Amino acid sequence: MAAAERIPLNPSTAPVPLRSTSTVDVFEIGYDSLDNVRVAGWYCAPKQAHLAPPYPGLLIVPGYIAEPTLPKSWAQLGYATVGVAPRGKLRSNRQYNPGYPGLLIDNIVDRNTYAYRGFYVDAARAVDFLFTRPEVDRARIGVHGSSQGGALTITTAALRPDAIRCGAAGAPYLCGFMDAAALTHSYPYEEINEYLRRYPDREPAVRETLNYFDGINFAPRIRCPMQVNLGLQDDVCPPETGFAMYDALTGPKTLHTYDGCGHDAGAYWEAARVEAFLAEHLEPASVAGGA
Amino acid sequence: MSQGIDAFWNALDDDLARYPMKAELEPLPQHSTAASTTYGVRLTSVGPYRISGYYSVPNAPQPAPGLLITPRYGSVNNVPDYYDRERYAVLQLIHRGQRRADRPFAAAYPGLLTVGIDSPETYIYRGIVADCLRGAEFLRSRPELDGGPVGIQGDDLALLTAARRPAFTAVLASELVLYRLLEASERTTAYPWEELNDYLRTAPESRPAVANTLGYFDPIHHVSSIRSRTMLTAIDGNGPRGEAWLDPLRATCGGSCATYRLTHKGAIDHDWLDAWMAGQLGTEPRSRFRVLG
Repeated sequence: MAAAERIPLNPSTAPVPLRSTSTVDVFEIGYDSLDNVRVAGWYCAPKQAHLAPPYPGLLIVPGYIAEPTLPKSWAQLGYATVGVAPRGKLRSNRQYNPGYPGLLIDNIVDRNTYAYRGFYVDAARAVDFLFTRPEVDRARIGVHGSSQGGALTITTAALRPDAIRCGAAGAPYLCGFMDAAALTHSYPYEEINEYLRRYPDREPAVRETLNYFDGINFAPRIRCPMQVNLGLQDDVCPPETGFAMYDALTGPKTLHTYDGCGHDAGAYWEAARVEAFLAEHLEPASVAGGA
Repeated sequence: MSQGIDAFWNALDDDLARYPMKAELEPLPQHSTAASTTYGVRLTSVGPYRISGYYSVPNAPQPAPGLLITPRYGSVNNVPDYYDRERYAVLQLIHRGQRRADRPFAAAYPGLLTVGIDSPETYIYRGIVADCLRGAEFLRSRPELDGGPVGIQGDDLALLTAARRPAFTAVLASELVLYRLLEASERTTAYPWEELNDYLRTAPESRPAVANTLGYFDPIHHVSSIRSRTMLTAIDGNGPRGEAWLDPLRATCGGSCATYRLTHKGAIDHDWLDAWMAGQLGTEPRSRFRVLG
């Protein structure tokens, strides 16, 4: 993060009239991150004629193969929201593009060049983008996502404890990597199994690298309230690893578990609970009228 | 199917037939195991356009049932699931615009759903459906199947493919997007439906043309040609993807068609649907989910 702080953010915002509505403005954004990679994203904010600022800020962080969210619906609820596209995602892949599958094991034997080194920083730097926006209340910024978005919720809250007021993490990925891979044949962790099947001698180097990127090791650094949801039959992110991360959280925390659920982690029921949790801590005033 | 729609799709078949498949298979040792061998596939579709996929075959010597998984709505398609690779000769198709088939056309998300939507001839889904038909032809041509049963699963693309290539034993269709798309988009602001709202908000004069185009691609105008057993998944309520919403589709579907009402518990739903497809294709269900000890 110290290396990233020396890189000017160079934020850009370009209006996207096609996606904007009578109540929400949509922008395509960009900023510089580690290794001078240009990171893209969507920024959605209530139109000031419909809802006066300041707005709480919200980062929506993406899943592994999911497209970055265009978070218009969150802006409709009164949040100034960034849908982050960390390096390698569409629109952020000009300088770095390991592909899917591929990202999880890219340079996995070297912590200094491992894929997630820059990826984590890209997500955390979205906080700095929100700080550049005059309509955003810096004291009310939250982060939310599921799967890889759950992982980025944890790492962002840990890397930016100064800024993040609350986080909601669903089915968190990138926790207990090696144990997770041993417990499943589902992708993305299966990428690690495939890699070690071909290069078993590299297991110690892989294990050493992943310790630096493990959400379980980030969790104790988080100070804000966290809400976590897990599917008890999750094949993609085995729940044992989610429990381990949750146990490592030392601040205020809430856990919701869903029996019979896989990687959906009870999303059908959890969505309303996430919305209520974020509203409790970030206190948005929702936009009047429809989208 | 009306005469105009029928002529449109017959012309697409003719167009596709002009281009030899020119299949290339490249072994992918990183995705192969003791039980299965996986290949990267490249095929020519209309345009001409070179599309892609992952094709995996069980290593057991006997013929395997086939399974075509049509592309999801998004830039990435996974390598077929480990347990599917053990049981099926399985093709995960990747259509034009998606990763591994994104040159010269790279799809935008959001954006793909409305590309060329003012005319059925220019609509991007004309090519995408052709890509799926080509995938079906490829799978059917594989000696590993030896004429055995073949299933297909996916969204509307699975229904359209099964209707245009009625050689499938079973169809599993979930999370439909093209079915009643214009109506569905009026009831939600969620993407990808919101892509259509965005488009019509900025070009309201296009609405009649868009409605006309979507009529050609709505599976309701095709599913009467399906000859297989079909399973549709439905959510609660009367809105899009609910049972009542799907009733016209089920009533129109050829063959036998039923609905599975999702519990929204993903492991339970996945196991039920996996068992259904396995039963149709004469193989064993396999759960990918563990019970916590």
